[in-house]
Amino acid sequence: MKLPPFAYVRARTVDEALALLGEAGEGAKLLAGGQSLVPVLAYRLFRPTHLVDVDSVTGLDGIAVGNGALEIGALVRHARLERARFDGAHRLLALAASHIGHVPIRARGTLGGSLAHADPAAELPVAALALDARVVARSSRGEREVAVGRFLLGPFTTALEPDEMVVALRVPPAAPGSHAGFREFAVRSGDFALASAGVVVACDEQGAVTSARIVVGGVEPVPRRMSDAEDVLIGELLRADTIAAVAGAASVSCEAVGDRNVDADTRRDLVAALVRAALIDVQAEVAA
Amino acid sequence: MSVIGTSLDRTRDVDLVMGRGRFVADVDRPGQLFARVVRSPLARAALGGVRTEAALARKGVAAVVTARDVPDVRIPIRLPFATTPNAERVLQPLLARDYVRYVGEPVAVIVAEDPWLAEDAAELVELDLDFGLESAAVDLVAAASDASPLVHPALGSNVIDTLPVFCGDVEGAFAEAEVVVRRRLTVGRHTAVPMETRGLVAEHDPATGRLTVWGAAKVKHFNRGVIAALLGLDPEAVRLVEVDVGGGFGVRGELYPEDVLVPFLALTLGRPVKWIEDRAEHLVATNHAREQVHDIAVAARADGTLLAFEDTAWCDQGAYVRTQGLLPAILPGAHLPGPYVWHAFSVTSHAVLTNRTPVGTYRGPGMTEATFVRERMLDLVAAELGRDPIDLRRRNLVPADRMPFTYDLGPEAPPLVYGSGDFPGFFERMLDEAGLDDLKELRSAGRKSDERIGIGVAAMVELGGIGPFEEASLEACPDGTVVVRAGVASLGQGIETALAQIAADGLGVEVGRVVVHHHDTDDVESGFGSFASRSAVVAGNAVAVAARALRERAGETLGVDAAEVDGERDFETLVSVGEMRGRFDKEHPSFSFGAALSVVAVSSETGRVTPLRHVVVQDVGRAVNPALVHGQLAGAAAQGIAGALLEELPYDEDGNPLAVSLADYAMPTMSEVPPIDTVAIESAVPDNPLGLKGAGEGGIGTAPAAVANAVADALGPAGVAVDRIPLTPARVRTMLRDVEGR
Repeated sequence: MKLPPFAYVRARTVDEALALLGEAGEGAKLLAGGQSLVPVLAYRLFRPTHLVDVDSVTGLDGIAVGNGALEIGALVRHARLERARFDGAHRLLALAASHIGHVPIRARGTLGGSLAHADPAAELPVAALALDARVVARSSRGEREVAVGRFLLGPFTTALEPDEMVVALRVPPAAPGSHAGFREFAVRSGDFALASAGVVVACDEQGAVTSARIVVGGVEPVPRRMSDAEDVLIGELLRADTIAAVAGAASVSCEAVGDRNVDADTRRDLVAALVRAALIDVQAEVAA
Repeated sequence: MSVIGTSLDRTRDVDLVMGRGRFVADVDRPGQLFARVVRSPLARAALGGVRTEAALARKGVAAVVTARDVPDVRIPIRLPFATTPNAERVLQPLLARDYVRYVGEPVAVIVAEDPWLAEDAAELVELDLDFGLESAAVDLVAAASDASPLVHPALGSNVIDTLPVFCGDVEGAFAEAEVVVRRRLTVGRHTAVPMETRGLVAEHDPATGRLTVWGAAKVKHFNRGVIAALLGLDPEAVRLVEVDVGGGFGVRGELYPEDVLVPFLALTLGRPVKWIEDRAEHLVATNHAREQVHDIAVAARADGTLLAFEDTAWCDQGAYVRTQGLLPAILPGAHLPGPYVWHAFSVTSHAVLTNRTPVGTYRGPGMTEATFVRERMLDLVAAELGRDPIDLRRRNLVPADRMPFTYDLGPEAPPLVYGSGDFPGFFERMLDEAGLDDLKELRSAGRKSDERIGIGVAAMVELGGIGPFEEASLEACPDGTVVVRAGVASLGQGIETALAQIAADGLGVEVGRVVVHHHDTDDVESGFGSFASRSAVVAGNAVAVAARALRERAGETLGVDAAEVDGERDFETLVSVGEMRGRFDKEHPSFSFGAALSVVAVSSETGRVTPLRHVVVQDVGRAVNPALVHGQLAGAAAQGIAGALLEELPYDEDGNPLAVSLADYAMPTMSEVPPIDTVAIESAVPDNPLGLKGAGEGGIGTAPAAVANAVADALGPAGVAVDRIPLTPARVRTMLRDVEGR
C-alpha cells in the first residue's frame, strides 16, 4: 500500500496549476484534499505520471453570495459546507456534506474534488444536481460553465478536459418558500451510500408544491432526477399519502443496479425509503 | 483490603494514550532492508515458474527469493491434540511450490533498501501461472463433494478428516421426541482484524551467532523453537521479543510463513530485515476464521424438555492447515451441548479445504459458531412449540445441584466436565440486569411503527483456562521493585496489570513496586503463551505459587509464620531470599457460564438492524481487576455484534476475495456499537487456588446468537428465516420481502 512512483508539483495559484497541468499532459492528476485519490493510489489502482497539488492554491476557498445565488470555491472543505448557514433549499449542501465520510475526511475533502471524482455514491453531486447548479471549469484556454447534469457522464467520468480544473460551483437562487431534504443509507455511519436522495421542494402559501427536484444517487451510474416522481408531487400538499406515492414513483422509475452489497430490488426499496424520509423532513420544515 | 479485586488502570495506559507505545513498526535497526511479499493473484493454478530478473535488476533491490531459494519446510501444527496424519499432509510451505492455492499465498519475497522500492519491484515479478486449470473450490459445502476441484490433489479429497463426537443414545432420544426441528445454519467467514497488522524485524549478529526477532506475540517460546528448528539453529541462538501489540484476538502471533521467511532473509543477507504487513495483505494473509455450515436436528418433548441433537458440520480450513490444526472442526463437538441437559447428541464435523485464505482461531473459536447454531435452534424449537424462548432455556439449563456435570464422550475423547456454577441462577442474574419486563414493554411499543424491536437471548459454556502449565518467578530487588517473570503475552488485554496485582497480593507489597517481564525469550525461560482465556488463570496461579514460596522463605529467615510476613515492612528480607519460582499445572480446562441478552431495532423498510442494548454476563470465578474484566466482556461483545451484523469476508466464484480494505470489511465504529452492560459473576471455583475462570471470550461467544435471535424476534413470522450471520441489511430486507410476498 505504498504509493506508486509519480512526479509531484505544488501550485500556488490557479494559473500555475493550469500551466503545470498543461505541461504534464494526460497522465497528470490534480490533488486537493486527497480523500479519494490517495486511497486509490495506495491500492495502486491508478498511476498518474504527475500529481499537481492544488490544495494550497489561493482564491478557491470562498463562498460568495450575490442576488441569492451562491458561488462556492472548489477548495471549500466539506466540513465548512456542513457548518455553513444557507437559506432555504441551499441547506441541501450542508445536509449532504454532513453525510460524507467521517470528521477527518470532511475536514480535508473538497467540493471540487468530489465533483471531479464523480463517485456514483458521492453526496455533493446529488445536492448540486438537485439545486440545478453549474460547474465552473477553467483551463489555460479559458473558463466555461457546465450544468451538473451534463458534467457527470458516468462513474468516475466527467466532462472535464484533461487540461481543465473545477474552480467553483454556481448555485442559482433558491426559490422563495423552498426547502431541502437529504437522506442516505450506508451500512455503517460514514460508509459510501448504497443509495441517497436529495430533494428540493418549494410550496405556495397554502402548502401546495410549486416546484420539486428529486435526485437519487448511488443507484444508477450517475445521480439522476426522478421526473416521474416530481410530476406526482407538483400541485399536491405534502401529505403522507402523496409522499408515499412520490416515493413509490421514484422507486419504480429508477434503474437500480445490484452489486455485492445489495441487490437491485433492495436498492429500489431503499430509494422509496430515502425519498420518503427526505420528503418527510421537508414536510416538517414546511409545517414549522 | 486485597489489591485483587481492585480496578487499577493498566500499567501501559498512559504510554499508549500519549503515543509513547513502541510497536514493531517503530523498531528500526541500522542497515535494515525491507521485505515485500509477492502474493498469488489466483485462487488455484499451477505455478510453472517465477521470473525475478526484472525485479532483481531494479536499483535498490538486494534480493528476490522464491520457493527454490528457501528451506523446503512446512509451518507445523502448534497444538498436539489438533493434528491428524491427513492434516500433516496439507501444511503450508514458506513459499508456494508448483501450485498456488489461494489469493494472497506467498510466492516470492523482495528485499530492498526501502519499502517503496520493494513494492515497485514486487510488481515486476512474473508468475507463470496456468490459467487453464478447472475452477477453484470456493463454496464450503460444495468443496466437500466428490465432484469438487481439489485443493491438494494428493489428498484425494477436500475433506481432510471427519471428526465424530457421540454422547448417549441419539436414536433412542429422537424416537422419544414429540417435536423435531431441522435447519441448515451458516456462520459467515470473518476474522479478528486487529488494528495493528503483523510485522517483524529480524537481525542476525555474526559475532554472537544470535538471531533476534522483534514483533512476536501470543506464543513466543513455541515460535522460537520452530523458527530455530526450521532454520537449523539452536533454540538458544534465537531470541524473540514482544514489543507493544495492537490487538491479537487469536490471529496475531501464530507462526506464519513470514515468521520464518524474514529471519531466514536476515540470516542469509547478513543485514536486518523489516517487514510490516499492510492492510490489503492482512485481509488475505492473516488467518481467517468462523465459516461453518451446520445441518442440525433438535429433538424435544412438547413440554419444552430438550432431548437430543444431531449435527453435521462443514468447517472451513481454507487452503492449508495452519498452526491451530483442525481445531476449527474439532471445537463444535465440545461446544454444541452448551449449558443444557441433553439425553444424547452427536456431531459429525468435516474439516474442509477450500481455495481461500487458511483458517485459524479467532477469539471465542468454535464456541461462537456452536452457540449461534444451538441458541438459534432453541428459539426455533420454542417457536415450533409456541413456548417462550427464555422459559425453554430455564427448563433445560444444568441445575446447580448437578455440578460437577459430565458429558461422557466415549473412550476416544476426554469428557466434558462442567466443574462449577449455578447456570439457572446466573441466567436469572442476566435477565434481572437487563430489566426484561421493561424491555418487553419497549418491544410492544416499537412494533407499532416501522421500527420493529426484538429481544434475543443466548447462553453458553466457555472452554478456557487451558493448561498444561505455566511457570513464573518472583524476585524482590534491592532497588525496591518486585520483578515478575511469566511466559504469557500482552495483546492489550492488561495481563501485566493483573499479574502485578496477584504478585502484590501474594507478597503484601504495594502494587506500584511490581514490574512484569514477559516480553523477551532471553529474559523469560518458558511459557505457553496467551490464548484460550488462560493467561490470568494459569500464569496468575503460577505467580501466586511463587509469591507464597517467597513469603514462606522470608518467614523462615525471620523465624515467623509466612502469614506474619509483611512485604512492605520486611522488604529487605524478601530481597535477601532472592528469586523464587512457581509453577501451576492445570490438567483440565475451566468451563464458565456466559449469557447475553440483546435488543435490536429492525427497519422493515431498509432491513437495517440497529443494536439498541446488549447485556453480557460471565462467570469469571473472581475478578482480579473488574475494570479489565469489563473491558474484556464489552470489547468481546462488540466484536461479536459486528460478526452478527457487519463483518464478512466474501469471495467471488473464482475465489477472488471481495473484502480487501477496511471500506469493504465493515468493522464497527462507535456508531454501530450499542451501550453494553457487563456483569462479571463471582463464584466458587474449586480447580485453582486463586479461584479464577477465563474472561476473554464469553462476551463474543454469546453475542452473534443473542443478536440473531433478537433480529428473528423483531421480524415476527419472518424471523424463522434467520439462518445465517452476518445479518446485513440486504439479507434482512430479503427475508422481509419474502414474507411480504413482493
